[in-house]
Amino acid sequence: MAEPIDPQTPEASAAPEAPAGPYVYDYAASPQRQIVLPKTVPLPSLKTYLAEQKAAAAADEAKWVKMQADFESAKAKAEAEGKDAPKPPVRPVPRKDDNDLKTPVPQAAQDADLLTLVALLGDKVEEIFEQAGELVCQVKKEAIFEALKLCRDEAALNYEMLADESGTHYPAATDFAFSVVYHLTSISRRKRLRLRILVPEGFVPESACAIYPGANWMEREIYDMLGIRFANHPDMTRILCPEDWEGYPLRKDYPVVGWGQRDITFREDRGGMIERIALQKAGQLGINLKQPKAE
Amino acid sequence: MFKNEEMEINLGPQHPSTHGVLRVKLRLDGETITHCQPMIGYLHRGVEKICENQTFFQGQVWTDRMDYCSAVANNLGWAEANEKLFGITVPRRAQYIRTMLNEFNRLASHLIWLATHALDIGAMTVFLYAFREREDILDMNEAFCGSRLTTTAFRIGGLREDLPPGFEKMVKVFLAKFPSCLEEYENLLSENRIWKKRTVGVAKLSAEDAIALGVTGPVLRAAGVPYDIRKAFPYAAYAEMDFEVPTRTEADTYARYLVRMEEMRQSARIIQQCMDGMPEGPVMAKLPKILRSEVNEVYHATEAPKGELGYYLIGEKGGLNPYRFHVRAPGFINLQSLPKMAEGGLIADIVAAIGTLDIVLGEIDR
Amino acid sequence: MGMSINQPSTFEHFLITTKVEKVMNWSRATSVWPVTFGLACCAIEMMAAGASRFDFDRFGAGIFRATPRQADLMIIAGTVTYKMAPVIKTLYDQMPEPKWVIAMGSCATAGGPFDSYHTIQGVDKVIPVDVFIPGCPPRPESLIYGFMKLQDKIMTSSLADRYKDIFEEVG
Repeated sequence: MAEPIDPQTPEASAAPEAPAGPYVYDYAASPQRQIVLPKTVPLPSLKTYLAEQKAAAAADEAKWVKMQADFESAKAKAEAEGKDAPKPPVRPVPRKDDNDLKTPVPQAAQDADLLTLVALLGDKVEEIFEQAGELVCQVKKEAIFEALKLCRDEAALNYEMLADESGTHYPAATDFAFSVVYHLTSISRRKRLRLRILVPEGFVPESACAIYPGANWMEREIYDMLGIRFANHPDMTRILCPEDWEGYPLRKDYPVVGWGQRDITFREDRGGMIERIALQKAGQLGINLKQPKAE
Repeated sequence: MFKNEEMEINLGPQHPSTHGVLRVKLRLDGETITHCQPMIGYLHRGVEKICENQTFFQGQVWTDRMDYCSAVANNLGWAEANEKLFGITVPRRAQYIRTMLNEFNRLASHLIWLATHALDIGAMTVFLYAFREREDILDMNEAFCGSRLTTTAFRIGGLREDLPPGFEKMVKVFLAKFPSCLEEYENLLSENRIWKKRTVGVAKLSAEDAIALGVTGPVLRAAGVPYDIRKAFPYAAYAEMDFEVPTRTEADTYARYLVRMEEMRQSARIIQQCMDGMPEGPVMAKLPKILRSEVNEVYHATEAPKGELGYYLIGEKGGLNPYRFHVRAPGFINLQSLPKMAEGGLIADIVAAIGTLDIVLGEIDR
Repeated sequence: MGMSINQPSTFEHFLITTKVEKVMNWSRATSVWPVTFGLACCAIEMMAAGASRFDFDRFGAGIFRATPRQADLMIIAGTVTYKMAPVIKTLYDQMPEPKWVIAMGSCATAGGPFDSYHTIQGVDKVIPVDVFIPGCPPRPESLIYGFMKLQDKIMTSSLADRYKDIFEEVG
């Protein structure tokens, strides 16, 4: 299935025809075995949000102007033919949902920490904004080491702890492929900050281990799951998957069930270990998917 | 004629003293550890990848199975992160019930910690006593949501249904006898000469090292830093609760033991306040039938029994599934401090070090 | 002996006659020693089954041996992953005969809720399993019921069962 079906539409509520014969679960059609590349780039950003709002408002305005113009022409036509004038148009009001949702949107940055970062880093900061009560600062990918060092050492910022570092794959984006996000916590000032860099395929960002030694395993996990290497890392090897694993699982072009490595049978009656590689090469895989390129 | 050679041995992945499948490569000089390298991934189940294919509501099922000693703590973090993503306000009664269940599961997790830590060091009676108390807490879990261990207790926007009848009585009976049980454990362990010899001065981790490595939870608080997310960035009903954050300065295994015992007392105090001050009202916010996200990312951290548990969610426009579902597991970060704790010590002390870190491989490997 | 049940013979006051096979099966079934092999959440329920409320020791199976070389039973409690599978195979090979395997929980039976790239869909892809216990996690009562089923299986097994294929080959 390429698109998730909206259960509220009438075509989904019509029951499919019952198949004749015994019911067999169609494994090949289950969602975990499909690769659906996302078509959008869900990167929250104040600039894109404002641009979208402006475009939506302009489209609304254009639609209202067109409705009025249509009404004028229809009225003129009715008067010419001697019929009654049509009803004047009413400006459509956006539908108000009756629920407790207040989706947070990006807002202009007002916090002192973000403004301090802009003052210290200058044009290395690409964007700052606040969303859902969180401070977000996007920096140029070459300047991330400097930004982290400033956050830790500057007395006004004093972000002592790196809480988390993680990455995301955006296959639909054109000028970058991944985003790496650093969550910093200031214990003494009770504040959190998110630093973000956008990384194209093949770029090697500077490791944060020299500033926050806790980034060691976090960056190994990002390498294991996404394939982003970090420069000057003490031990750039896979951490969760085995050392000889091929492929980077959290990329969007990697299926959930994998490329068949897990379907090898390890059993042998009363013998030694089967060589996993030999069986894999012999072609006895449970799923008929194409092999990934050797990386 | 006699040469000093270092021996390289393997601890795990199957070993009675590892809390799950943890493998530690050790290099020994006699009985002293010169190099320690933990190796994980033996329980890597691909939870983050799986949850990208599930809707926002369905993701809770996999969160229970990460830190399986206290599933409700994971559920609370997940529910709050999703509510932050969608901008949902949870009714007050639901917040109180969530806080109460969270504290019960903090007790359950600390009881498992006590049982296994004591069992590793050699005190086998405490294992049986602690599991006796834990069974009562699991009975309460079962009364509320039907399952003892993997609870899936909450929903986005509140709770599925209110407390069952008779729940208050169960809580009252439990709270009446719990302080005497805590005293029983402390009688067995706190002034025990063998316990003190095995834990005082063992597996030290100073505050600077802890903050640099990102270690949180009781390990950080036993080193002198009073950082508890329930007080620093309050969530659920913790802003209205009156409790203390136990802190010690010695930063060794005995200090962490005392911190966790005191945390159990404070948890009982919070549960009592929740029961006394429980407001009336609905337990579920009004939500649309299908939750579609906007372009949004949140990082929400809560204080799980092991440390700071964070959920990083990214939503796409009109998406039914999260675009990225990342869990900041406290055990994953805390385990990085094992080499610092164990190197230079004896091989018997690494067992105490692993126990005192209170790691659970389900959340480390995800 | 052919005597009627209601009239014991002179010897049955102090003599039990039975088959060697039954005695061996009875002794094997009532003192099965498991190896500590908790992998994930089911391990906590296994520990609870061995603890105060659901005492596992009354079945003779309370002593969890740390090393597989002294154990007869391996309770796979938890998810089996690709990285862990060779380890499980090695441990299974280290157990001396006769040995049994209980797959506890959905993950050990069929991969459980984790249909992903690193999870083996059932431990019977790695080692032969005698009893499957479904549940996520199964309650300690379920584990005890499954264990009792294993005891039934041991009690009704014959000495020739395990070596049937070799005997058939030889002819």
